Amino acid sequence: MSKTIFSLKERPSVPLEVEVFTPDVIAPLSRDEIRALPVFLGKRQCRLDDFFEVEGAGSDELEIHGDAGRVKWIGRGMTRGRITIHGDAGMHLGAYLKGGTIEVTGNASDWVGAEMTAGLIRIGGNAGGQIGAAYRGSLRGMKGGTILVEGSAGIEVGMRMRRGIIAVKGPVRDFAGLQMKGGTIVLMGGAEIRTGAWMVRGTIISLVPLRLMPTFSYACAYNPTFLRIYAKHLQAMGFTIPCEDQAGAYQRYTGDTSVPGKGEILVWRPHGS
Amino acid sequence: MLRIKGGKVYDPANGVNGVAKDVCVGDGKIVAEVEGGRTIDATGMVVFPGGVDVHTHVAGAALNFARAMIPEDHRRHKHFVRTLTTRGGIGGSTPTTFITGYLYAGLGYTTVNEAAMPILSARHTHEELRDTPIVDKSCLVLMANNEMLLDQIEAGELERARHIVAWNIWAAKAYGVKAVNPGGVTAWKWGKDAKSLNEPIAGFSKATPGKIISALANIVDDLGLPHPLHLHCNNLGAPGNYVTTLETMKLLDGNRAHMAHLQYHAYGGDDWSTMRSESVLIAEYFNAHPNLTTDAGAVLFGDTVTITADGPWQHILYKLTGRKWGNIDVENETGCGVVPYVYKEKNLVNAVQWAVGLELLLLIDDPWRVYLTTDHPNGAAFWRYPEIIRLLMDAQFRREQLKKLPPKALKRIFLAELNREYTLYEIAIITSAGPARALGLPQKGNLGIGADADVAIYNDSKDVFQMFSYPRYVIKGGEVVIEEGEIRKTVEGKGLLVRPTFDNKISDFIRPLFQQYYTMAFDNYPVEIERIEHPEFRPCKQSSR
Amino acid sequence: MTCTLGEVKNRADLIVYWGGNPAECHPRHFTKYALMPKGRFVPNGRKDRTMVLVDIRETPSVKAADIFLQVRPAKDFEMITVLRALVKGQPVDPQLVADTGLTVEQLQEFVDLMKKARFGVFFFGMGLSMTRGKHMNSAALLTLAAELNAFTKFVAMPMRGHGNVTGGDVIMRWTTGYPFGVNLARGYPRFNPGEYSTIDLLIRGDADAALILGADPGATMPQPCIDHLARIPTIVLDPKVTHTSRLARVHITTAVTGISAPGTAYRMDEIPLPLRPVLKSPYPTDEEVLRRIYKAVAAKPPLAVPVMPELAAV
Repeated sequence: MSKTIFSLKERPSVPLEVEVFTPDVIAPLSRDEIRALPVFLGKRQCRLDDFFEVEGAGSDELEIHGDAGRVKWIGRGMTRGRITIHGDAGMHLGAYLKGGTIEVTGNASDWVGAEMTAGLIRIGGNAGGQIGAAYRGSLRGMKGGTILVEGSAGIEVGMRMRRGIIAVKGPVRDFAGLQMKGGTIVLMGGAEIRTGAWMVRGTIISLVPLRLMPTFSYACAYNPTFLRIYAKHLQAMGFTIPCEDQAGAYQRYTGDTSVPGKGEILVWRPHGS
Repeated sequence: MLRIKGGKVYDPANGVNGVAKDVCVGDGKIVAEVEGGRTIDATGMVVFPGGVDVHTHVAGAALNFARAMIPEDHRRHKHFVRTLTTRGGIGGSTPTTFITGYLYAGLGYTTVNEAAMPILSARHTHEELRDTPIVDKSCLVLMANNEMLLDQIEAGELERARHIVAWNIWAAKAYGVKAVNPGGVTAWKWGKDAKSLNEPIAGFSKATPGKIISALANIVDDLGLPHPLHLHCNNLGAPGNYVTTLETMKLLDGNRAHMAHLQYHAYGGDDWSTMRSESVLIAEYFNAHPNLTTDAGAVLFGDTVTITADGPWQHILYKLTGRKWGNIDVENETGCGVVPYVYKEKNLVNAVQWAVGLELLLLIDDPWRVYLTTDHPNGAAFWRYPEIIRLLMDAQFRREQLKKLPPKALKRIFLAELNREYTLYEIAIITSAGPARALGLPQKGNLGIGADADVAIYNDSKDVFQMFSYPRYVIKGGEVVIEEGEIRKTVEGKGLLVRPTFDNKISDFIRPLFQQYYTMAFDNYPVEIERIEHPEFRPCKQSSR
Repeated sequence: MTCTLGEVKNRADLIVYWGGNPAECHPRHFTKYALMPKGRFVPNGRKDRTMVLVDIRETPSVKAADIFLQVRPAKDFEMITVLRALVKGQPVDPQLVADTGLTVEQLQEFVDLMKKARFGVFFFGMGLSMTRGKHMNSAALLTLAAELNAFTKFVAMPMRGHGNVTGGDVIMRWTTGYPFGVNLARGYPRFNPGEYSTIDLLIRGDADAALILGADPGATMPQPCIDHLARIPTIVLDPKVTHTSRLARVHITTAVTGISAPGTAYRMDEIPLPLRPVLKSPYPTDEEVLRRIYKAVAAKPPLAVPVMPELAAV
């Protein structure tokens, strides 16, 4: 399978915005056309090859090498193909994603997969805040797809998400699942405060005890059947969550009564603890 | 100096119906002849007087509040990148001020009437209008919930009321008087409404909405303002409100009046599930009473934001939609409510609303008395007017749209039975000549000698939507501002004002009350004339009653 | 859900100050607008009103309060969320509620007080809007005010500080559509707090030049911001030599707006007030300086209008 390889020459002095960086735009182009694509260093329009060495003609497999921590909007609105970043990635990675896969070996910034509808994003390091979230004022965040984070994440993970799965191995900060409308958030490393605040619907699963809002109440302890299917699905992607009666059970909390919402938070409690 | 050569001219105010002739411009006015200067070859094109929007919300505190509430709307719509001649900004339901000017000019509109300005924040409205390029502007000051005025009406002091109104028009640097939900906005300050014309308003024992309407209509006529009382009736949007509208129109017998966004006031039924169109009854009464003018306030399907001084209505809308809601109450004067909203084809109520606006435009016989508006942004953004033009001119297209409505809707509306198609001449009337006349602006809406040189030149095309969306040339005050889809020049518009007569001693009456009930120094209240860009005065005629 | 201050003066019978200290920060607030004045429908002034102060500790404002609710630091969001639930008659967890520093009973009493009011108002300060939760704390109080309108009239208003912040907000909205944190680099306005807001930009070092007008970040912002401002070319326009001036590349002294320069100020409730200068100044106004800078910038060759390939509609 042919690839197009981009090597970042140096870390941009101010953020570099690269909305053009998707297989949709790049695949049909020749190497010269790719090199001439417009990217924006602050207010200045530049050529893509001012910042990246380009190897190969356009393809559905794009690779970036280098510290792209200041490169924003990689994969914006893409519908197919694959982007692999060997290094860090900047804000809005895979925003509005409609299909395809994005993988980052290093860290990502804020707004990963914001308002996406399908596709897969994997972050090998840490991510920032607002994963799969709604941009300010939008009524809904991600509506489908999967976001997996090996490290930790910031605030407002899954804010206003409607559907889809977000799984984070490390701890997340405040407001995970804020105003959630549906979908599933898996917090393998727990969270700080205000998890599930103002939830309307959806499921938050935590493998570690959480500090809950006073507007949530305990309902029961069990291992929901649907969780087996999710566990299998996540296992295949390297994210293990328990779901066996022998090992323990999930404490189910419902809320947020301030809305009032019908969300659920499942907190894993191993037997004997 | 400019000659527009050989275009098909539509100038209804002067009875010109599609005649190929030259239009000459000199010193910002239409002149009989020019020598030298530029010639625009308009052969095969259609020449209209510049559009006049008689009712829109484009500037001021309420609109600016709405801007803050809908960042997602800003993102969703086309943005405008800065160029050498134009500022950057955003469009959508609440365009930023510079873009508002460009978008209006981009449709061939050259005069807009900001329909709702509180006196307390009039300075803000005028600042925004200064940042709205190209178009000329007028503003209507909100009076029907002004508590100082209501106190006079309660006490039967109608003579003093007149001086107060006149003083306030001048303080606000307004062009006319707007009445919104008379008494209702006052009642909303206690969380209530005023649904009956004959019941005293909350907090008063004699003042009723009916009394306010009559008092204001008489005052406006006594003051001889060029534009009649501009009235947003009680019970806007409520099923069955056609009764209130008819009652209101009866009350106005003997006065001039402009009924704002009539579509929202022409509903039958008892509740949302039985809501229906009563456009026929409304149009019938309206047709028989030449003292009235109106604007359609038509609805189009899609996202928008509703902004109105009708606080109670907006709270209802909030409870119905469960979505975002904003509200500001302005001390002693008025208030506003903001609710982002989506009109959906498949929603029975929205389908009826869509039909009612078009029905009124088709059932009202005299195009000189009914004008094209959407109560921007309430029914739809103003830059969608070409869609309405198409619906009015193409009955076949209209019928096709009807098919998209839920079948139940068809039993609630009359639109399927209406076959009338507007002509270009009539479109020129409802978008320009008519509103200019209603606003009392003889120099607008026509291409007669001495008129302001505001001209829109369109392709002559069967595709009227394309035609009216993309004028070939737009001339404002004699300057070519738009050419081949580009803004070539941004000129500054004029502020249209009136100076009604009042007894100067009235400020001695107002001052102590003001200090007592307001929270700023009285001297800071009136807007300084220096804040109006290129002011132009229209005279007030002595009593027309 | 808001109103102009005259509405408060004329109608409000329940005043709640949340996370603010008006006695010291808005010294005329009690006397001119909120507590003392006799209003049209509040004829006995202070006697017709109840004032509730919500804060993490007692400030001088507590002397004016009828009720003081001491909320634990960083618990305002929880407290307001509980109030939202109680307003709706929904259940809450008493133990978790107690973590806020107040009991369910106390909060229920507060809810009853609010529902019984004829016209209530929340005035909130930086103790709410700048503490953990930030914009969500403000959103919470605004939402509570909106929801109380099912029962009675209620409004909420931020206690704005620092000169004409409100004016800046108002003008930003009409020219760009957004209140703050606006990025114009691409020739049109974009808004994203956290990405384009000043502190975040400076901490990340995303800006390579700065023009500071009417503010002193060198005194108020976190150290990483100050360090970055010192690294990049920073220009300061201010009547005084400020902390920021001392680390800037250029300082231009300008006339004091309101004293020597005319203009319009927008009060915290967005009422525009004219500023009438009384003294002459030897210094140019901010406006003059900016116009001259702008003229020089405009004389440079313009940047090309970007031509983008077709991008996904979003």
